[in-house]
Amino acid sequence: MLRTLVCRIHSVVRSVAIQNIGRTTSVVPTRLMSQHSTETDEEFDRRYEAYFNRQDIDGWEIRKAMNDLAGMDLVPEPKIISAALRACRRVSDFALAVRFLEAVQSKCGGRVKEIYPYILQEIRPTLDELGVSTPEEMGYHKPELALKNVYEI
Amino acid sequence: MASRLLFSSLRQVQKLQKACIHGRSRIGNREVVGFGFNGQYSYQDRIDFPMPAIRFKESTPDIVALREKEKGDWRKLTLEEKKALYRASFCMTFTEMNAPTGEWKSIIGIACVLISIGIWVFILERLFVYKELPTSFSEESKKAQLKRMIDLRVNPIEGISSKFDYEKGEWK
Repeated sequence: MLRTLVCRIHSVVRSVAIQNIGRTTSVVPTRLMSQHSTETDEEFDRRYEAYFNRQDIDGWEIRKAMNDLAGMDLVPEPKIISAALRACRRVSDFALAVRFLEAVQSKCGGRVKEIYPYILQEIRPTLDELGVSTPEEMGYHKPELALKNVYEI
Repeated sequence: MASRLLFSSLRQVQKLQKACIHGRSRIGNREVVGFGFNGQYSYQDRIDFPMPAIRFKESTPDIVALREKEKGDWRKLTLEEKKALYRASFCMTFTEMNAPTGEWKSIIGIACVLISIGIWVFILERLFVYKELPTSFSEESKKAQLKRMIDLRVNPIEGISSKFDYEKGEWK
């Protein structure tokens, strides 16, 4: 039994090693150094707008980009938000649109009173066109439901 | 024979592990809608990752019907339907995530109770456990000790004797 096991492990290791030899010889040597992004803000905005504007975008990709935006040190531009809302419309996910608006509001941080009204004013045509309600219109600017304590369920 | 048995059982374990790693076996018929935080099919409300991998509620017939309606014009949805759609996808809104829990009250209360128990233990020990302090702690003994330290000129540069005027016999 040990012999069969050893034989199997040997064959697996050998095949992987052979594959890797083939791979390493073809890899172009690159230096593992840090490099700063040279992307300007305009390019960043255009990249994300184009990403959300893709006609065949699916829910996974939308969520990926939204999670990424929620992790960055920025508030997305209104045009990115409009494109994202339209993308939500294309995959018919209303909840995602509202959740993204909430995430944007949360990204405004301590200056939410300055930035958030401006964003709403800029994306208002899109909101009206698609019929997306803002979190405030849905009454989500205040806590609506309370979770039960998990230790008391 | 034994090896074949071993490998067939290992294959079973592997299959089970694959189902467990992503958690497909635990999510019921919830829709998997994204990658989430780490590729596992789990739901968690997080501000830094607002979109989890699965929807919060299972696909019941009501919600499926609502999703069909969602494919039409969103302006025709009522507020209740919009809220139902949101709650089907997500558990808590951002304000609910950020809402204060009031936990600090119980923390402060329990801390005060524990501190007061400690103070009571100290008081009771003073009353019932420890003996009386030695006589050297009395006022006369302490005065005598000070007098003797001055007479011996203890620490004359910066300490106690440097503050005593020996010619006049009083403190400077």
